[in-house]
Amino acid sequence: MTLQEPLVRIEGISKRFGKTVAVHEMHLEIAKGEFVTFLGPSGCGKSTTLRILGGFERPDTGRVLLGGEDITGQAPERRHINMVFQDYALFPHMTVAQNMAFGLELKGMGRAAIATRLKELMAFLEISDFGDRYPSQLSGGQRQRVALARALAPDPSLLLLDEPLGALDAKLRTQVQLELKSIQRRTHKTFFFVTHDQNEALTMSDRIVVMNGGRIEQDGTPEDLYFRPQSRFVAEFVGETNLLEGQVRGRDGEDILFDWCGVTLRGRAHADAVKPGDDVAASLRLERVGLYPTKPETANALQGTIAERVFLGSRTAIDVAVGEQGDRRLRAYADNETLAALPDAPIWLSWDSPSLSILNR
Amino acid sequence: MSRSGRVVLSIFFWAFVVYLFVPLVLMIVMGFKDSRFIGFPIRSVTFDWYLGVFADAEIMYTFFYSVVIAIASTVAAVIIGTWLAFLLNSWRFMGRAAIYGMMILPALIPGIISAIAFRIYARQLHIEPGMFAIIWAHAVHNVPFVTLVVMARLSTLPRSMGEAARDLGADPFVVLMRVTMPYLRPAIIGASIFCLLLSFDDFVRSFFLGSYQPTLPVLIFAKLRSGMSPEINAIATAALILTAILGIWAERSSRHLARESKS
Repeated sequence: MTLQEPLVRIEGISKRFGKTVAVHEMHLEIAKGEFVTFLGPSGCGKSTTLRILGGFERPDTGRVLLGGEDITGQAPERRHINMVFQDYALFPHMTVAQNMAFGLELKGMGRAAIATRLKELMAFLEISDFGDRYPSQLSGGQRQRVALARALAPDPSLLLLDEPLGALDAKLRTQVQLELKSIQRRTHKTFFFVTHDQNEALTMSDRIVVMNGGRIEQDGTPEDLYFRPQSRFVAEFVGETNLLEGQVRGRDGEDILFDWCGVTLRGRAHADAVKPGDDVAASLRLERVGLYPTKPETANALQGTIAERVFLGSRTAIDVAVGEQGDRRLRAYADNETLAALPDAPIWLSWDSPSLSILNR
Repeated sequence: MSRSGRVVLSIFFWAFVVYLFVPLVLMIVMGFKDSRFIGFPIRSVTFDWYLGVFADAEIMYTFFYSVVIAIASTVAAVIIGTWLAFLLNSWRFMGRAAIYGMMILPALIPGIISAIAFRIYARQLHIEPGMFAIIWAHAVHNVPFVTLVVMARLSTLPRSMGEAARDLGADPFVVLMRVTMPYLRPAIIGASIFCLLLSFDDFVRSFFLGSYQPTLPVLIFAKLRSGMSPEINAIATAALILTAILGIWAERSSRHLARESKS
């Protein structure tokens, strides 16, 4: 394997179940050591893609390569890929240690070597005390760890994780997210994570692949997806945003001129070019909107009146009525100090052009 | 609930317990009576009837004859029943409903009718009345109980369990032996004990398909015809204790296993 060779290469895979298209002509490369997350709503094809990688589904077309080797038709037991299942799928009649040893025994590893490996891994994942317990005697978080330990034990090239945090309560989930990221960093393993939870994806991933209707919507870093969404789907699915429905007027250097609500705004397009006259939407993140008592000298400035305040603790979300009739709303965050300093009169909203993402049609 | 309500309820409960157990207690007690005549009063107590039973070669031979039949028919029923459970649980195929119906039928047909049918069919197949014929009939009769219990357990086995095993390097045969079968173990043990008891207890099929050598229930029936005696009470009590121990042990161990394997 050369340095340029990706660990996983997905070449145009498609999969249908009856009339439903689960995955459509997907191309993707995953580099060694990456934490890649597949993000999307249920039924978007993310789990099917994962199951194709695991060998539990066979794609109708296309190939899957692992380290340059075509594994499309290979049985799951022959792949150097392990999976953490959504329901953990621990063997109920085996202890934690027996569960973890299962994969190693089948690889033909000797007793002594298995014992060493288990000891090391259990210490690493802090489950040394549970070796003799049965899965039914563990809490949800502990089972999750055991499932991870069992999948990591055979030292797979690629680890698949199918919404493994879904069954945990919210507080535990945040903690486990950070742990999982740290485990991935320390083991230098390639993680392929599937979730429908955008927070989870943003917290843990090096790279996020957003899927919708069997296709990849956008593939990029968490910052890319959040601040530079390419499509309306991504802008709405990841985080909270203002969606502005308007028309493209033209171009000025890098900026795209965008008519909305009687004014011309400046934004950027992060994907395919949009043409003048196109009716498109633009995304403006709440925290990118600045609030001023007087008109600032920036690319975009709009006047409006505060219509609604929602106190959130460390900051306040405000809805500002803008437009000629004051019938459009833009939502922004304000520091509590900034808000106190604002006059009880029309205020100015402002943001720079890269903050306004002109989305694909 | 009011105090008087509770009192009334507990009276009903104990009355029901008496109703259930008095016949059994009487049967046990009469086995110790030092007289051929069954009934009160009991003037003196003896263990002779029990000693007589254990010393009686015919009774002991019949007992082991019944045990062998029970074990053999159970082994056959468990193998066929489990196989059917896998077949019916695995996928939807043409004729699945028909197989399901045929599988369940032996449990629903009245004993006397199935016994006669077996007798006729056995003659057609040139199967001599005797041990093999009884084992055959018991096995067929017990298959539905095994299949239903194993299917119920199999349907709770998550698909991911087998996939996880495949994922960790197990081929389908290893998955069956190391994951699926251990998962089914409580169901199979429970079904086996139930089959053992059904076979041991069966009269009608054993009567119709037996030869000169009777099974234990058939022997008791034969002895009854020549008059009731405390000897029968002793046989029945011994059988009762044995089956009760087996039943209680099965109940407890299957509960334990089910608890262990709940995840």
